[in-house]
Amino acid sequence: MKPGFEALRSGAFRFALIFALAFATCSALLLLAVEHAISHYAVEAGEGALKSETAILLSEDNEGGRASLLRAIDRHRRAGGNDAFRYRLIDGTGHVLVNDLGPWPTRTGWGSVAVRESDARSAAKFETFKSLGVTLADGGVLTVAGDTYDILDLRARLDRFMIAAGLAITLFALLGGYLAGGMFIRRLGRVNAAIGRVMAGHVEERLPMIGISREFDLLSSNLNAMLDRIEGLVEGLRQVTTDIAHDLRTPLSRLRQHLEGMRASGRDDAAIASAIRQTDEILAIFRALLRIGSFEGGDGRQYFTPVDLSEVLDRVVAALQPVAEDRNKVLTANIAPDCLVVGDGELLAQMLINLIDNAIRHTPPGTRIAAMLDRDDSDLVMTISDDGPGIPEAERGKVLTRFYRLDRSRHMPGAGLGLSMVSAIAALHWFSLELRDSGPGLTVRLTCPPAPPLARRKSAVITETVAEVPENTSGIGAGSSPVATTTRWRA
Amino acid sequence: MKLLLLEDDKTTRDHLERALIAAGYGVDTCTTGHEALMMARNNTYGVLILDRMVPGIDGLSVLKDLRAAGMNSPALFLTAIDGVHDRVEGLDAGADDYLVKPVADVELVARVKALLRRPVASDVATVLRVGDLELDLIRRYALRAGQRIDLQTMEFKLLEYLMRHSGQIVTRSMLHEKIWSFHFDPQTNVVESNISRLRAKVDRGFDAELIHTVRGMGYCLEARI
Repeated sequence: MKPGFEALRSGAFRFALIFALAFATCSALLLLAVEHAISHYAVEAGEGALKSETAILLSEDNEGGRASLLRAIDRHRRAGGNDAFRYRLIDGTGHVLVNDLGPWPTRTGWGSVAVRESDARSAAKFETFKSLGVTLADGGVLTVAGDTYDILDLRARLDRFMIAAGLAITLFALLGGYLAGGMFIRRLGRVNAAIGRVMAGHVEERLPMIGISREFDLLSSNLNAMLDRIEGLVEGLRQVTTDIAHDLRTPLSRLRQHLEGMRASGRDDAAIASAIRQTDEILAIFRALLRIGSFEGGDGRQYFTPVDLSEVLDRVVAALQPVAEDRNKVLTANIAPDCLVVGDGELLAQMLINLIDNAIRHTPPGTRIAAMLDRDDSDLVMTISDDGPGIPEAERGKVLTRFYRLDRSRHMPGAGLGLSMVSAIAALHWFSLELRDSGPGLTVRLTCPPAPPLARRKSAVITETVAEVPENTSGIGAGSSPVATTTRWRA
Repeated sequence: MKLLLLEDDKTTRDHLERALIAAGYGVDTCTTGHEALMMARNNTYGVLILDRMVPGIDGLSVLKDLRAAGMNSPALFLTAIDGVHDRVEGLDAGADDYLVKPVADVELVARVKALLRRPVASDVATVLRVGDLELDLIRRYALRAGQRIDLQTMEFKLLEYLMRHSGQIVTRSMLHEKIWSFHFDPQTNVVESNISRLRAKVDRGFDAELIHTVRGMGYCLEARI
């Protein structure tokens, strides 16, 4: 479609059209009203002049007699020049003493007469005069007529002016609408073209600023933020799909080898039990992936209730102390009582088990592991620290991703999902999670908003949804310790 | 004792039926919510084992209807529905237990057995006894052959549960749920380590073991002669 027609169809032009129509209607009404008022005033003024002229002449006649009247008429004529009144005087006996009005019959009261133009150049031209006839004391009639041309002329000029102005303003509005529409179309066209390219697969493409005003720029920058987020999610999804396909191949191949071995060596209960165990491991991986996925989607928040985090941590530590002891590690806890958070106690327990079990599994014998929960200003701070080998700075961000494992623990059982689960549950609870160097060892620090009132929870959700952009580069080249990695969470 | 099994997938249904029959139960099977409602209204079952996603009325509604109609047999959901809140939803509908598929046969049988066991005299007793082991629920300590054993809170809870289910197989996940309220698999040796600690106090130094490991299944506390 031609851009010219496009502009005619644009919203801006339609608005301009509506405004132009409204303006034209209003100016027509205004014109009528003004014209009415002015012509009314002009007629009154004209009639007033005729009345006072006749009154003056009548009094001349009454006081000074006929000669005085005739002198007065003559004086008035000369003084008025071309614009003077026209007179006709007929005395009681029917003699015409003065006649500027031509052959028109004489009448008393208001009337109108056609009078030959006094200007010599337009001798054939007649004008309409308004006349007022009055009866004299001797029964004669005095008629005075005045030019009405000025009134008509004024009305005609006013009409022309109003129509011209109305048309000009209407055209101006239409032209403005057309230009504004064209501008909108051009600028939005660029944005639409960019959107088209994104849809065609150029997911890295971003929208240009629209540039008409701040709110339009805000719109395109918000759309860009949305695209960033979608790209992050899609990238995450792609990554996860690849990871799942890749990381499930290992246990599945192991299971297959196992079954092959059984076929070769005949039925063997221990081998069957082992095959079942391997199947269970694979199922556990699926289950964990599903749960992580649902947490990252925010599932479960609708059921959040106040939870006593102190009790949960206490219970988890009590359950894991014997596990730590069996591996020659010491697990201690320092827990402030009655620390309430809003959340799901079950999931918090799972998060803490994963965290502490992680410290138990991936440290050498003799390691001391400490769990701490305390209040810090208005927040609750929970740390799980160990004095083991820690995690190299460059890898701290990565250990939270699915299936990521440090080189030194690849030979150990596990799928590399424990810490992803931790970070997913932490994010679900609006906890911020940091991995720090505890020199030596690793400190996992969770900062938890304390049981917040409802309003604060809502605002937390909004902030998160608006502001977050996935960070894939965290932990690489980060500043000096102790804070090496802060991972912010997608809702 | 008869069980009702609602399961629409034929392979799963046949497998579960075989496993339950092998464990010594009679089983009625059905495949839709309507059938389950009718059968449960016209018969008395020891335990109802219900799938949630079945044709027609879903398992959750079936149980709600039955509970509303006054049926009080224990019920267990055996389902693939495994969201964050689904278990709570199942228990709210009146279920006594909630298992997520796939589940080992021994696990299902152990759970059914635990549901059928209720309530017996020992529930109100203040002292539990198995062999020469006594657990004083008021004074919170155990006696083995007259010798006092002090127990920490969780050890006490664990021993109490094992003694209340003496003679039965108690699986790891049952202990996770009942002792620590972990309704998920912690993927670590919580049960093994805690049982071994309890054994060190209850069994070590005495003639006969009371806490037995049932390989591949769980634990069983009983006095074996």
